[in-house]
Amino acid sequence: MNWADLNLMPALPEIFLLAALSFILVLDLFIPDEKRDVTYGLSLLTLAACAALQLATFEPFATTTFSGMFVDDPMADIIKVAMYGVTAAVLVYTRQYVADRGMFRGEYYTLSLFALLGMNVMVSSSHFLTLYIGLELLSLALYALIALRRDSAAGTEAAMKYFVLGALASGMLLYGMSMVYGATGSLAISEIAAAIASGHSNAVLLVFGLVFLVAGLAFKLGAVPFHMWVPDVYQGSPTAVTLMLGAAPKLAAFVFIIRILVQGMGELSGDWQGMLVLIAALSMMIGNVAAIAQTNIKRMLAYSTISHMGFLLLGLLAANEQGYASAMFYAMVYVLTTLAGFGVLLALSHAGFECEKLEDLKGLNQRNSWYAFLMLLVMFSMAGIPPLAGFYAKFAVIKSVVDLGAVNMGFGMVSALYLAVFAVMMSLVGAFYYLRVVKNMYFDDKQSDAPIVVRGEMKVLLSVNALALLVLGVLPQGLIELCIEAMRQSLAVL
Amino acid sequence: MSFPLIVFYVLSAILLFSAFKVVTAKNPVHAALWLVLAFFTSSGHWLLLQAEFLAIALVLVYVGAVMVLFLFVVMMLDINIEKMRAGFWQHFPLAATVGLIMVAEMVLILASPQAHLAGYEAAAPLAADASNVKVLGLQIYTTYLMPFELAAVLLLLAIVAAIALTQRERKDGKYVDPAMQVEVKAADRLSIVKMAAVRDEPVINETNEPQA
Amino acid sequence: MLQNYFPILLFVIVGLMVGVGPIVLGKLVSPNRPDPEKLSPYECGFEAFEDTRMRFDVRYYLVAILFILFDLEIAFLFPWAVVLKEIGMFGFGAMLVFLAILTIGFIYEWKKGALEWE
Repeated sequence: MNWADLNLMPALPEIFLLAALSFILVLDLFIPDEKRDVTYGLSLLTLAACAALQLATFEPFATTTFSGMFVDDPMADIIKVAMYGVTAAVLVYTRQYVADRGMFRGEYYTLSLFALLGMNVMVSSSHFLTLYIGLELLSLALYALIALRRDSAAGTEAAMKYFVLGALASGMLLYGMSMVYGATGSLAISEIAAAIASGHSNAVLLVFGLVFLVAGLAFKLGAVPFHMWVPDVYQGSPTAVTLMLGAAPKLAAFVFIIRILVQGMGELSGDWQGMLVLIAALSMMIGNVAAIAQTNIKRMLAYSTISHMGFLLLGLLAANEQGYASAMFYAMVYVLTTLAGFGVLLALSHAGFECEKLEDLKGLNQRNSWYAFLMLLVMFSMAGIPPLAGFYAKFAVIKSVVDLGAVNMGFGMVSALYLAVFAVMMSLVGAFYYLRVVKNMYFDDKQSDAPIVVRGEMKVLLSVNALALLVLGVLPQGLIELCIEAMRQSLAVL
Repeated sequence: MSFPLIVFYVLSAILLFSAFKVVTAKNPVHAALWLVLAFFTSSGHWLLLQAEFLAIALVLVYVGAVMVLFLFVVMMLDINIEKMRAGFWQHFPLAATVGLIMVAEMVLILASPQAHLAGYEAAAPLAADASNVKVLGLQIYTTYLMPFELAAVLLLLAIVAAIALTQRERKDGKYVDPAMQVEVKAADRLSIVKMAAVRDEPVINETNEPQA
Repeated sequence: MLQNYFPILLFVIVGLMVGVGPIVLGKLVSPNRPDPEKLSPYECGFEAFEDTRMRFDVRYYLVAILFILFDLEIAFLFPWAVVLKEIGMFGFGAMLVFLAILTIGFIYEWKKGALEWE
């Protein structure tokens, strides 16, 4: 590679993000504590500029640069714009929360931007090495964010658990990658796909590596049986950081899986389909059943995340364009829903009070009917009740499974209908605990009279966020077509 | 059995033994030192694979720097290791069983004839003057430009994270900045206030009159 | 290439022997008659007052980790210096960007006071 080959245009948003992040990092050193809002404003501005750059450099086809290690395709563009929006929303929602808890420091914002940069790299990598570095950038920033509130023992414990298990998962991923490298002789995703397609690579080594890759990915996604860290980390982290790690990283993880399993090892879909069926079914079951027993709402949402990741995998295991597009739609809707759900929890928390018990939501309708309504939308959407976006998302992934007819489970073909019926049953189980929250809000007496004080920009954004669930539920066609088109364009090349 | 193979088995035996001691050593400082031995032997493995730069980097970075960090961390925590490790040997059989099953599975797969591992030929020995520092260098800064720059970002993030997590202003610090001391001017410390000359009237005390 | 490293292997083996030999000799040759009093820990003639392990200041850790980060940076400089002629200005620019990013980290830690000891 030399100057002539160096095309920075596809990576312009990332380069800008890095430059802006460095600028904010240094500038923040010279800002006195009472003017920390400058850092906050600049971070939001950076995100807006990144989104603008991303849209300005949009191409309806895939372009690669950096010796083919960086790919900019429509799927990456859409996911990245979504991630900028999600990160901006997270920063707005958590502004008051972090200020009340001594976390309103420059590092909170720079670490968030670092995490975003890591996610961007994950989303745009077409090489195992850069995929891994992007993942580590994201994880390292998240470990630090979780432990940022140093006087909180729960936060430190959560960071430690996340760190140890995250390192284990990284180890598995690396082991799998090295096996794939041994079998195909390359780390570049397009070359791996070509080597597998040529049929000359060592099949046993490939599948051996694939097992570790799937295990590592399931770990990062928080799917059963690699889910043990999720509830503890969700509960122990400050709610602001729980939101940070429950939202945008799920989008990045989705693309991460597409890049590795679909673009790299799509030829082996017969092998990974069966693994994903097991992981998805277990996730839906354990996630939904365990969530019923929770009294801590953050922990409940953690188990609900596990079950949602199971549904997300339903779309992926279909191993066709329609399935991937429905999984992408599911991921977007899930993130939007989580954002609004935690947004309400953050709005209800105030200095010295964490809204994290189920009882804390009791009688919310009497205290403030608008927030109760927003939470109602979130819970209905998570439960998959029409006409909310969550319904259409569940419908799309289950439909892609039904269309599949039968899946290869290793020991033989099994009708996919069983899986679809199981998924519907599990979402019915899930509806119980989502509706319990609604019952708490509307049919129980209020427990406290504390006024709900929310900053203006958050009030507006939170309302827009939650209402978007309703709008997307009624008119999902635009977004789903965007997903299908993005998938078609992105998967066509590699 | 060729000589490199013998060296490989000797190194592997030491590596496995020292790794086992890292986990089971009672004293954490000893565990860290066993880890040093483990790193050294694995750098020997790198060397056997003809990756001399990586072998040296492992010693330089891991033995030289990372272990220092480990020792600091170990010394920083005054946790009661005995108490923390209670139940270690009690759970050991179960853990060992799970571990052995995994090893057995992996051996069964990788050693099976279908895996064709015997089909892989050993790498041809490099010429005596072959420099893999050079080969690496030619790749890292050109083809692998993006991961290279990302490594810098990762290091930057590590700096920020380490400082954000460990640095705190000390309230009881008695530190004074000499530069500030030198810069002090008389005017900063001593202010001369002009006041109207007021003379207190002497209090005339009746009882204090000079006696006649 | 491996033949070149044979002297180093010999060196390591001899070094190990020099280290291990005296210990083994001492164990074998010297008289060793332990009793409980001899083996019990002591501190200037008294019973031990407290645990040997005491907390170190967390700032040692900070210094150590900052050292590691810059140590790693140096590890990247070695191959670069070797091939600088071949990779030319492009490689030079690549390293410049690398160092610039780390310099931001340096400014950050300096201004944050991570290098101060108080």
